[in-house]
Amino acid sequence: MTAMTSDTVLTTTDAALDTAGLAVQIRGLSKRYDERWVLSDINLSIPTGSYLTLLGANGAGKSTLLHTLAMLNPATSGELMLFGKSANRPSPGLRARIGVIGHQPMLYRDLSVMENLVFFGKLYGVSRPAQRAAELLERVGLADRASSMVKTFSRGMIQRLSIARALMHAPDLMLADEPFSGLDVPSVQAVSELLRELHADGKTVILTNHDVRQSLELAQRVVVLRCGSVVCDRQARHTNPDEVTREVIGS
Amino acid sequence: MTQVLQQIALVSGKDLRIEARSRQTLGLVVVLGVLIVVVLGLGLGPQQVASGMAATAVLWVAYLFCGVLCFEKTMAVERHDGALAGLMLAPIDRGVIYAGKLLSNLVLMVMLALVVTPVAIVLFGFDLSAAPLGFAAIMAGGFVGFAAIGTLFAAAVSSTRLQGGLLAIVIFPVSLPLVIVSTQMMMRLFGEGEPLGGTGLAVLIAFDAVYLVVSWLVFELILEP
Repeated sequence: MTAMTSDTVLTTTDAALDTAGLAVQIRGLSKRYDERWVLSDINLSIPTGSYLTLLGANGAGKSTLLHTLAMLNPATSGELMLFGKSANRPSPGLRARIGVIGHQPMLYRDLSVMENLVFFGKLYGVSRPAQRAAELLERVGLADRASSMVKTFSRGMIQRLSIARALMHAPDLMLADEPFSGLDVPSVQAVSELLRELHADGKTVILTNHDVRQSLELAQRVVVLRCGSVVCDRQARHTNPDEVTREVIGS
Repeated sequence: MTQVLQQIALVSGKDLRIEARSRQTLGLVVVLGVLIVVVLGLGLGPQQVASGMAATAVLWVAYLFCGVLCFEKTMAVERHDGALAGLMLAPIDRGVIYAGKLLSNLVLMVMLALVVTPVAIVLFGFDLSAAPLGFAAIMAGGFVGFAAIGTLFAAAVSSTRLQGGLLAIVIFPVSLPLVIVSTQMMMRLFGEGEPLGGTGLAVLIAFDAVYLVVSWLVFELILEP
């Protein structure tokens, strides 16, 4: 790990670090696609209830790291612990504690809003999935569109529905891959407010973002990835955006 | 066990609901199946058609091509908007996804057969009344094995850019044993009037079992979000 400053929080190569209270603990995690290393020796500890943003240029490894945390892509080497349990071999119990908002909405266009949410709710074993879906649709401002087909929705509405899908099983850890990408200003505000509420509920939120200023406003902590390595890990408060931008672009 | 069966029914039910609403797959494969039967019937000429025995081979040609389309379409539903990643994130076994897709494919294949088979019977003058249950048993055995490998390969190929063409190329050779065994059984049953023996069915079931087990095991390894 490089470029650490006095602001650095929870530098995590300390093997003796207590795992209690940690939502995520990553030790020496690396990921290779063919011959190219996209993540290299990542070490991070993220306490439960944190709000962390992963920053980095395109190809820095943000989405790959998020996918690895979501247990969609196994790491090539290293150790991943979620809520104190090894996630190197994903278990249904761990999957049930994670919600993911991806680049793509992970929804079925030819099903209605309610049908989508109930389907995913049942997959996660949610009791009374229709009732839960109705609550969430109210929360994301889509209550009046419950019977609409997803294919009729705008990008912003789909993103809000995607958040509702990810919240169906009340996950403890929310992973969001560029959740503001392609959204208009009102939708960005709506989505950031939803994520803020989630954090206020005590959930751990980790998202990837390109916007440094927005990240510093939203999150408690920012981690910058460059070429698959952590180059900066700081508390968001009192951090200069220009300094973080320099870390992102590597100058 | 009950929970797993419910999850399989959930995945398959979702597929069939989407199909019932869009009618993209079944509409296409039924038309294709009927066309294949009619075109091959006309191509073979009155002599072959009159024998009736060409019908089983022609039907298999129709089922093979239409089956490939079914497998491809049911998997394509998961590729739109990253829905497959949503399934893979859920706390369910990958085998549940496989079994759900397999069940969807089997239902579509049976619905296809219910339309295409009568067309072949009429066109080829195929006398099904001699052993209707035997015919159904042989076709069911063939369908299970064919859909088992088709579901697996469709998942593998769906992450590549080649898709349709490649899927047919990999499925057809692997399904050849099923086609040969079931066609031979049909010949003996309807051509030579032999009763449906246990040996033939046992061979067909053995192929099905191998295809099912191998596909179930491999599916987890090839599935990519």
